[in-house]
Amino acid sequence: MSGLPKTGRALAAILALLVLALGAVPSAPGQAMPYQRPVDTAPQQDAIGGGYRTPAVQKPLPRDYWLQVLDVALLAAAMGLSVWLVLKRRSRKWLVAIAIGSLAYFGFYRQGCICPIGSLQNVVVAIADPRYSIPMVVTATFALPLAVALFFGRAFCGGVCALGAIQELVVLRPIQVPRRLDRALGLLKYAYLGLAILFAVRPALARDFLICRFDPFVGFFRRTGAPNMLLLGGAFLVAGMFVGRPYCRYLCPYGGLLAWCARLARRGVTITPDKELDCGLCAGACPYGAIEEMRAVGRNCLYCARCYSWCPRDGELARAKAELVRLKGAAPS
Amino acid sequence: MQYRHVQTIDGQGALRGIAVDAHGHGELYAACDAEIKVFDAAGRLARRWPTARPAQSVAVAGDGAVWAGELGQIEVFDDSGKLRDTWRDAGLLRRVTAIGFTRDSVLAGDSADRAIRRFDRRGRFLNDIGKDNPLGGLLIPNGVVDFGVDAEDTVYAANPGKHRVERYAPGGELLGHIGRFDGIDPAGFTGCCNPTNVAIRDAIYTTEKAGPRVKAYDFSGGLLAVIATDPFDANCKNMSIAVDSRHRVYVVDTVKLAILVFERVSA
Amino acid sequence: MSDDPTRRDLFAAVARGTVLAVLGGGAIFLVRKANGQVVWQVDASRCINSRLGEVGVEACNLCTTECVVALSAVRAVNEYSQCGRCNICPAYFNIASAVNGLGQPSEKLCPRDAIARRPIGKVDPEDPANNFYEYVIDEEKCDGCGKCVMQCKEPLGLGSITLRVRYDRCLNCNRCSISTACPQKALMQLPVSRALEPVGIERPE
Repeated sequence: MSGLPKTGRALAAILALLVLALGAVPSAPGQAMPYQRPVDTAPQQDAIGGGYRTPAVQKPLPRDYWLQVLDVALLAAAMGLSVWLVLKRRSRKWLVAIAIGSLAYFGFYRQGCICPIGSLQNVVVAIADPRYSIPMVVTATFALPLAVALFFGRAFCGGVCALGAIQELVVLRPIQVPRRLDRALGLLKYAYLGLAILFAVRPALARDFLICRFDPFVGFFRRTGAPNMLLLGGAFLVAGMFVGRPYCRYLCPYGGLLAWCARLARRGVTITPDKELDCGLCAGACPYGAIEEMRAVGRNCLYCARCYSWCPRDGELARAKAELVRLKGAAPS
Repeated sequence: MQYRHVQTIDGQGALRGIAVDAHGHGELYAACDAEIKVFDAAGRLARRWPTARPAQSVAVAGDGAVWAGELGQIEVFDDSGKLRDTWRDAGLLRRVTAIGFTRDSVLAGDSADRAIRRFDRRGRFLNDIGKDNPLGGLLIPNGVVDFGVDAEDTVYAANPGKHRVERYAPGGELLGHIGRFDGIDPAGFTGCCNPTNVAIRDAIYTTEKAGPRVKAYDFSGGLLAVIATDPFDANCKNMSIAVDSRHRVYVVDTVKLAILVFERVSA
Repeated sequence: MSDDPTRRDLFAAVARGTVLAVLGGGAIFLVRKANGQVVWQVDASRCINSRLGEVGVEACNLCTTECVVALSAVRAVNEYSQCGRCNICPAYFNIASAVNGLGQPSEKLCPRDAIARRPIGKVDPEDPANNFYEYVIDEEKCDGCGKCVMQCKEPLGLGSITLRVRYDRCLNCNRCSISTACPQKALMQLPVSRALEPVGIERPE
């Protein structure tokens, strides 16, 4: 584990330099041209007579601003709740409840948009293109999960991310992916991150938001989509039954950023050496390969709290056992 | 009847209304943005003179005087361009898109009020034509009033919203109409508002937009000829038409800003 | 552990602080650039259904087929004050169809029957040609196919119907999929107030 903070910082610095360098690429502006027709000859209401009033053209407004702020507040609250539930209460069942709630609200109600994963593209464009306007809500959506990850690990991934939640809920019989393969596949998400940034900094009309376009689950959230994308989403879910959260671990570009921040966190999910029994139940329970040699690997931990729920020493299982012992009046073991 | 496209006169700038000269010399008068242009029989620009306000239409009276319909006024010039008289009326002459003459009066089409005004030769207002109906005027979503006057002083006014050419007595009484809507039969007028312009000589000549067409009808409403469709730019609108005594038909192409001339080749 | 835990913690703490500072600084930089929400809108002067030119061409329905929303977020919108209120509206009727006994075309143009027509003003029940008519597009039925827009376009009509993005339906995607497909590059991002302005019209002198 030595030297990791240095590597993390170095990689972050390289990424920042890359983004700033690409910011030198000029972008074409999108100008709306005024549309003018020759002569105004339409009859007005006094010419039509008979008490006729020209109706007003309906102008439906986009979603209220305060609702967008509410979304950010809910994001923050859900992450805060996840941190407390996992680190303090160590309760998996409430985390699953949050995951279902996030899936319902951020997924099916808000139709998966805006999400922190996609927002990284907007932030990149905003840095690169001086004419691009990024709403504050989007900046907050991008920054909040990263800030939380810096201190507490990938709390966002646990039950708040809608894409994560839908995958979390289909985990059935997860296999343990061999460590080398897991590491190698994990590099894919940095490649995707690089590609996403590259396509996002192109000039305005050539700009391509890859993460949005190739989001495998948004078709489910919208209840409509291209057949091949729906099929891909289905394939991810089916695979997810046997390999825990493949998109999150190997493809999510924002997950790459979260992993870097989570390395620096001090208070994430930990397995304390003085209390642990070396029984290995947590390692067996973790479907995401986040426990190596009886220690939690912060950058891989997706905050599912399975380790806590399986631990005989701490967490729900232990608490239930202690409660049972207390009720039956026997001495604690 | 068959017609042949014989000449294209370059308008050398903007073109609005046109009119043929009164003595059969083959000259063509055109109202342009801020002037009157006169083209000779060969199509060359013979003379031009400015108008005080943007000219919308032009007509030549029997005595050779050139009447220019403008915004808020009518100016009367002699043949060489010297101003003889100005009729100014902000209310009755807001946008004069057509001028015609009966034996004893002058008619001016005001597109802002969707009516034809009748004045005596001295400029005194007599009556409106076309306003005595539930719609309060001619139906002109295309924005111009156009009409022609025959030898018996019957006014033939284009009413494009109704797809008709209506016949009025000079006093304003509606005598009848010819034409009907038809999107398929060439004898009908197609689109939302056609015919846009009309000229009277020995027949009723009409122009239509959106599928630009020039047609001739006899006075009982039967189609005599489809004079032309192809030479016009598809985006033409409100093509002014004039017919001279030798049955040559002059039509303005409002996109190419040229005057297309057609001659009858068979009866 | 061969490393001194306090030194490792110190590195981590410094790194955390740096990243937090970068995040915070970046956020402040971006917040200062923020100037309101931007939405997608159709530019009527580029859309081939509404721009001048291209007469007699098949209407473009990419707004219907490309939008990720189920029945598209684009609708044909009639700017009533610019509508001619004609008896024979080429956007309502299929003017290439045979004429019926009332002197009107027998077929309607809209494949989803989304336009409603009613006489307005001083109504003459005897002669349909003697009335003004109001044309209202039902946004529940319209899917933005653009047929009526193409027919309403100048010179055939007055161009009061144009395709507009409707913000109670539009998801405001980062990259509108219609904008990717549109061959005229007619979809642009505008501030909300400009996107809601009526399509422009030049008044005579």
